[in-house]
Amino acid sequence: MEEEKKKGVSRRAFLKGISGGAVGAAVVSTGLLGPNEVEAYPRETVAPARGRKTVSLKVNGRLYRLEVEHRHTLAEALRDQLGLTGTKIGCNRGECGACTVIVNGRNVYSCSQLAVWMEGAEILTIEGLAQGEKLDPVQQAFIEHDGPQCGFCTSGQIMSGKALLLKNPNPNLAEVKRALSGNLCRCGNYNREVEAVLAAARAR
Amino acid sequence: MKSFENIDVKSVKEAVTTLQRLRQQGKTALVVSGGSELLQLMKDRVATPDYLVNLKSIPGLSYIKEEKGGFRIGALTTLSEIEENRAVQEKLLILSAAAGEAASPQIRNSGTIGGNICQRPFCWYFRSASFTCLRKGGQVCYAVAGDNRFHAILGGGPSYIVHPSDLAPALVALDARVRIAGPSGEKTILLEKFFVLPRVDFKKENILAPDEIVTEIQVPYPKPQSKGFYHKVRERLAWDHAIVSVATVVQSRGEICQDARVVLGGVAPIPWRATKAEAFLRGKRIDEATTEKASEIALEGATPLKDNGYKIALAKSLVQRSVLAAA
Amino acid sequence: MAKDFSVVGKNTPRIDGYERVTGTAQYAGDVQLPGMLYARVLRSPHPHARIVSIDTSKAEKLPGVKAIVHHQNAQVVWSSGGRTAKRYIFNNPVRYVGDPVAAVAAIDRHIAEDALGLIEVQYEKLPHVLDAKEALKPDAPKIYPKGNLSVGDGNLTAPITDEWGDLEKGFKEADRIFEDTYVTKHVNNAQLEPRVSVAKWDAGKLTVWASTQGVSNCRTDLAKDLGLPLSKVRVICKYMGAGFGNKNQCQDIDLMAAVLAKAAGRPVKVEFTREDDFIGMHGRWSSEQHYKVGVKKDGTITAVELDALTNVGAYRKSTGNLSGTDFYQIPNFKKTVNPVHTNTVVAANYRAPAYPQSIFGFASFLDQIAHELGVNPLEMFKRNAIRLYKNKTPFTSNYLEQCIIEGAKRIDWTQKWHKPGAAGGTNKHGIGMALGGYPFRPGLGAATIRVNRDGTAHVLVGVTDIGTGAKTAMAIIASEALGIPLSQIQLTNGDTDVTPYSVGESGSRNTAFTGPAVIAAAQDVRKQIFAVAAAQLKAKPEELDLKEGQVFVRADASRKLPLSKALARSGELIGRATTNPEFKGVEGKSFAAHFSEVEVDITTGHVKVLRYVAAHDSGTIINRLAAESQIKGGVVQGIGMALTEELLIDRPTGMPINPNYRDAKVPTHLEIPEVEVIFIENYDPYGPFGAKVVGEPPITPAVAAVANAIFNATGKRFKELPITPDKILRALYV
Repeated sequence: MEEEKKKGVSRRAFLKGISGGAVGAAVVSTGLLGPNEVEAYPRETVAPARGRKTVSLKVNGRLYRLEVEHRHTLAEALRDQLGLTGTKIGCNRGECGACTVIVNGRNVYSCSQLAVWMEGAEILTIEGLAQGEKLDPVQQAFIEHDGPQCGFCTSGQIMSGKALLLKNPNPNLAEVKRALSGNLCRCGNYNREVEAVLAAARAR
Repeated sequence: MKSFENIDVKSVKEAVTTLQRLRQQGKTALVVSGGSELLQLMKDRVATPDYLVNLKSIPGLSYIKEEKGGFRIGALTTLSEIEENRAVQEKLLILSAAAGEAASPQIRNSGTIGGNICQRPFCWYFRSASFTCLRKGGQVCYAVAGDNRFHAILGGGPSYIVHPSDLAPALVALDARVRIAGPSGEKTILLEKFFVLPRVDFKKENILAPDEIVTEIQVPYPKPQSKGFYHKVRERLAWDHAIVSVATVVQSRGEICQDARVVLGGVAPIPWRATKAEAFLRGKRIDEATTEKASEIALEGATPLKDNGYKIALAKSLVQRSVLAAA
Repeated sequence: MAKDFSVVGKNTPRIDGYERVTGTAQYAGDVQLPGMLYARVLRSPHPHARIVSIDTSKAEKLPGVKAIVHHQNAQVVWSSGGRTAKRYIFNNPVRYVGDPVAAVAAIDRHIAEDALGLIEVQYEKLPHVLDAKEALKPDAPKIYPKGNLSVGDGNLTAPITDEWGDLEKGFKEADRIFEDTYVTKHVNNAQLEPRVSVAKWDAGKLTVWASTQGVSNCRTDLAKDLGLPLSKVRVICKYMGAGFGNKNQCQDIDLMAAVLAKAAGRPVKVEFTREDDFIGMHGRWSSEQHYKVGVKKDGTITAVELDALTNVGAYRKSTGNLSGTDFYQIPNFKKTVNPVHTNTVVAANYRAPAYPQSIFGFASFLDQIAHELGVNPLEMFKRNAIRLYKNKTPFTSNYLEQCIIEGAKRIDWTQKWHKPGAAGGTNKHGIGMALGGYPFRPGLGAATIRVNRDGTAHVLVGVTDIGTGAKTAMAIIASEALGIPLSQIQLTNGDTDVTPYSVGESGSRNTAFTGPAVIAAAQDVRKQIFAVAAAQLKAKPEELDLKEGQVFVRADASRKLPLSKALARSGELIGRATTNPEFKGVEGKSFAAHFSEVEVDITTGHVKVLRYVAAHDSGTIINRLAAESQIKGGVVQGIGMALTEELLIDRPTGMPINPNYRDAKVPTHLEIPEVEVIFIENYDPYGPFGAKVVGEPPITPAVAAVANAIFNATGKRFKELPITPDKILRALYV
């Protein structure tokens, strides 16, 4: 990917530039931005106006303004338009948990929420967990306890673990398993993911 | 998903008038609350509405209140909120447990009580756009000749779906009522009367008209000396529907049963109230023999399809186990 | 015994852990390119049909649609997709429900999906057959002109046969002869990342961001099928969301992406839906295994005959073999396995392809025979544990017996085992065991190591890391072999323009194939380092050593030099190696003995796995942390296969009815106990740093270990998978 990055054209790199604060002339405006708002990457569209809407999404403490189709899910908006690809889509039908994000303090499947329903909600994704360079205790524990195998379910497991600890800072084994039970791991790394969440609880 | 427009309505009245207006315009509109279940149907193109009427934008439809002999639960209250509510846990015996057994944490965090009782079937033939089954306007219930290991043993025909809700059997066992808003105002009916057998209408699971919505569930306090038991048997312990579930409430004095509610899930197209078994139990001493007899009575008339006969033995075990546990 | 290593064998967190926990690891589906289109695939709704006509005009008119390909305008052979008959990315006739018919690229995935509904295809339905046994009947519909027995070319022949000793003599020597049949079902790999591919053309050069288990083989296949020189194809896969065998080589999706990108003149991302992934790729072949086993009174096997059918689905992509007898000392043996084509989803490689289903059959049957002979299963398995490959060839190393002994000790077999069905209560306790493993073979590997002038190193390997920790394992091997601390090593992998050849991550071959190349490349660069440092240390190059980043004189460690100083004037040094070791007169295998304890609720038919012990001989363990995770994961997949998983096909229509996680019932957190892992550590003389293989073995005995525990609990033998509550209740009550 080194070469790709150098060309400076990938949407991901482009968005990274934005979130770094470098909002430049390349941004296509869809309206007036508030002081804390960020314009997301526009989508190519042919949808009729009635199927489209401009929404403001508060993700990881930042306000993004973007135009979506009514049929776009939150997961799609996060990944395709905000470049927050840490949220994965494993089944796109609310059964695997790879797309788990925290909305208003609760973990939900972002593939099963429409982006247009999310106006005003506080959304936290895997990218918003670390405080600067400092990883969240759940992330740190996932590294130390070998939480990820292929890593595709990892963001979701971590978000469910985080959602649990927000409600219950000292969960027991059964509570952790239950809290993660909406997150499949086909690598079968369940023992590790549970260990990691328990370790994160102890580390806090 | 087919392209559609989402309409955020601000009041129950607006929801109803919007549904009415769209219907008059010949548009298909569906009501959405939590969304997980409906979006899955839409992604599979089993549901292809032109409009979604989003109830989540209505303020004040999510609440758990106690007043005058029971609970009032707003239709948009999530399953997690019900599961975690201290008063519900203490007073409604089995409702918290049933809510906690539904699907997965993420679904419980977004799924609502109103949406839960209005779910469409999870029959694999119904859920696949490839099968134009009876319930989708076709001629055949594919479960009859197909793989029917999870289908109905009671109340089936001409369609053999089972009702997927975890909450519904518990709510029926608690004598809950449902409040419905429609063009002619609001009405409250016994939840038991809300569900529809396929022999009455095989295209829907409940009595809701296309421009009606559920606004509230009312649950009376159980009678004194009542105990409840909820158990759900399934292959996976998370995100799986009941093979058979049972919600039982028994009011007893000493060892004698005064009144009982035994409601089975996973066995019929509606939450299946074992009325005859309940009547049999009234006035009886609750022991191995009476409960065994009650379980036989509960499953009287059960007619298995080729793959689901095992459900009869399972349902009997659960009925017996639940009445013993609730007494 | 295990040797003294500085990095090998420790608990090392993954070198890419940070990327994996922060969402910054880039998977193929995360790649976004300017102007990129999204594509969706139309699949056959019929199990067997001829496409009479295909009309895309309506779909083409849909605004936003940029390209549509199908069997008429994109006749591309998919060579790694077919082993017997020529297979295309779009076939006519279509041979199973799910066979790709067309693909559409559009500016949005939803538009592409809308367009699928506008493609008008006229099918002429052909008779179909779903069942392997039915398919072999003379009047069965023929899926291929030669018939439905999958007679392979290439490296495969069918029926698959193997034979040694004298079967007749073996049965004559037996005190008892037993015969029975075991049945297993199609289960899906069901990796979390659905198949995805992004393709982009630049002046005749194709770049594909693939979700592949092997970038090198993926490139080779793409080049072959598209008629391009290898230099014009670049395949990149840095992270991928697992595959367990169904993302080997190049997949049809990669070819579809390339063809669509060419047709549209824009980059294209093809995304399979979860349903596509369940029905459009492949799972584990189902089987019907008939055994005849001769034994002595004490349980010693005298002869085994296996006659089996496997259902490989509509196209042959792997062997269809059954190898579960591999872990037993069988003096006289014969097997005939017939891979059969049916009009169902393709069945090919899924983690240890020929083993778990086969071990379920054979280890269940041995457990049953032990029961009928009155022999304790532990004694039965120990007595018959393999010592010589095919009763002839010695193994490079074999600690199977120690696995059995240590595992049995940990689970407390002698205390916990009881007569089948003898435990009281409604929750019946049971204990069971089985043996397994996987072949360990050497092969072609390559590596480049650049040692920078500041003493840090850059390892270039073609491996992909599908979740096994391959990158970390390669870095550990490099660190150990170089004598440079792990923290000073950077690793680049999975990019055919940058990294050298690798077999890819399949068949547990990464460490065995690429590991020796990394060691050889390290030795190559160390020689260069010593040549440079010799003068500075006033010693001969061969007198020098390098450890922890210090070059020193072996005989006098006080004469030393930090690597950065040694290389200050020489600049970057590059070590290279291509290795291809061979075994002569020996065979390699990793071994395992698994033990499980279950509780069966006889009123509900629910099985709860209470405890699980997995004892493994994988030689040296390169990274204990990741290796233990591998073992745990294999066991979890085995538990799923034993208890819940099965892809169901509707008999009348041939349509899969549960192609999703909910209905295919992949295990969740709640079904899984703590899996206790035991490594019988040893140094295999043929493996890199003594290592054998880890990834494949743990799933192999897991299914049988659970099934045997259910027998011990209930006294009922379940001869068909999965062992679901309905089967248990039927066995107990109906």
